[in-house]
Amino acid sequence: MFKKSHPLQSKSEIILRNIVVIAMVIFFTVFLIIPIGIAFAGSFHEWNPLSGTYNFLGLKNYIDVFSSGLFWTSMLNTLIFSVVVIIFRVGLGLGIAYAIYSSLVKYKSFFRAVYYMPVVTPMVAVAFVWKFMYNPQIGTINQIFGLDINWLMNPKTALLAVMIMTIWKDFGYAVVMYMAGLYSLPTDALEAAKVDGANAWQTFRYITLPLLKPMTLFVVITSIISYIQAYVQILIMTEGGPGTTTYLASYIIYDEAFVKYNFGYASALSFVLFVITAVFTWLSFRVSGSQE
Amino acid sequence: MKRKISSIALNVILILLGVVTVYPFIWMVCSSFKQNSEIMALEQHLLPQTFIIDNYINMNNRFNFLRFFANSLFVTLAITLLVVYTSTICGFVLSKYKFKGRNLLFGFVLATMMIPWCVTIIPKYTMIQEFGWMDSYKALIIPAMFSGFGIFNMKQHIATLPDEILEAARIDGADEFYIFHRIVLPMAKNGISSIAIFQFLWAWEDYLWPYLVINTQEKQLLAVGLKMFNGQYSTDYGALFAATAISIIPVLIIYLVFQKQFIAGIAASAVKG
Repeated sequence: MFKKSHPLQSKSEIILRNIVVIAMVIFFTVFLIIPIGIAFAGSFHEWNPLSGTYNFLGLKNYIDVFSSGLFWTSMLNTLIFSVVVIIFRVGLGLGIAYAIYSSLVKYKSFFRAVYYMPVVTPMVAVAFVWKFMYNPQIGTINQIFGLDINWLMNPKTALLAVMIMTIWKDFGYAVVMYMAGLYSLPTDALEAAKVDGANAWQTFRYITLPLLKPMTLFVVITSIISYIQAYVQILIMTEGGPGTTTYLASYIIYDEAFVKYNFGYASALSFVLFVITAVFTWLSFRVSGSQE
Repeated sequence: MKRKISSIALNVILILLGVVTVYPFIWMVCSSFKQNSEIMALEQHLLPQTFIIDNYINMNNRFNFLRFFANSLFVTLAITLLVVYTSTICGFVLSKYKFKGRNLLFGFVLATMMIPWCVTIIPKYTMIQEFGWMDSYKALIIPAMFSGFGIFNMKQHIATLPDEILEAARIDGADEFYIFHRIVLPMAKNGISSIAIFQFLWAWEDYLWPYLVINTQEKQLLAVGLKMFNGQYSTDYGALFAATAISIIPVLIIYLVFQKQFIAGIAASAVKG
């Protein structure tokens, strides 16, 4: 029996397997492992390609990162940004998916397709569209709500404006994920709840929600990873301003590396973000594991 | 009766949210057919009062957007085709062959997805300079040839294909190259269409990498072109709307055509993963 399902490898299998494995290893070594090594080494150096400097600094770049006010401002901004956007993404995603999933709504795939549209559109382009929508002169947002706010130039509203745009762009992803989760739920658990006389809210709260926890975890982790890396909407809409109110962590890296060409400092900052990403991912797994 | 009311209420809420979702696109497209005086007018209408297509013509006269469009299409299609092929073949080998180090390799592929772009982009940029690939599409295409995301998804997808079909072909004397190209590749259609659309989108919207490695304006891609155009003609709103519409609409069309396979594909990979 065992032999039948794993027959001896043919010659062509060995050749194909070797080509694929070797190609993969070479590719990821050249474009991932070696760059990580270079960046790690570079993070201990004063490294500026314009002036041609590459001098050993020890831990100075890392010390500079942690003693920089802008770094802490950007970490706080990133934290606010991520928490708010993730709460809305998960809340809207779950709520809308559950509504579409319910027997009360007919055109399920139509709604799903509509909400997913912003997810597939290019960030650079939609960031421009929203920048124009927020524009006090030509924008449609002030017009619709009868407001007079210079959204992206006002330190009180700039980060909020970027967050609203990001929620608009990303909530559809959570809708699709939660719908997939809902349709793969075991029907016997839901049937049993019905038989036991649970009402709709009880079924949702005590059966559906706990069963969807792996999906919530998946959405939260992928969101954390992507928001720690978010910078395009900042680059297009605010360039970190006004002042430093919309500096996000990854935008500083873009700014230090490719505006100021401080490669060493930017590399140190990249590794700090890398570690933070890894810690958050690990934490989310642990939190979900301990509750089960 | 109560059921009917809640059904109507729920549908109305979903439709309103749908309007909020599509409104920015509609506003952008409508504005791209307006005169600048109308865009800036105090009293705004969603639909153009005087319908003009000059914005599209002007935009292309100043900045060769059709050229950027063609460049982006070429680079994006090249990357997408390559990634589809490499992801499928790697997914096939990782899911259907048993060999030493397979799980290690797969774990490594998973780990690649966690590395933030910012960690590798500086060294990749200096490497491209040393390879002499600056200002060439090699710099855009070759470092994007394999994708951890693509390999992971295709591995999950191909694992669900029945082994019996492959075995039957082997008994008939087919070699592995034939089996992969003629049996696995066509059967993996759904998985392929979902990673193809994702990959198309990512390559199409990539801003920083083409901005760094392409210097000649005629070779530049659409996302970078859009930003340059905004920098230079920041007050010609009509042309800006037209340029933005040009860079969004192709992706939306592809999505609307393939959305069924696409949504099925991503959702399936998340439930299994």
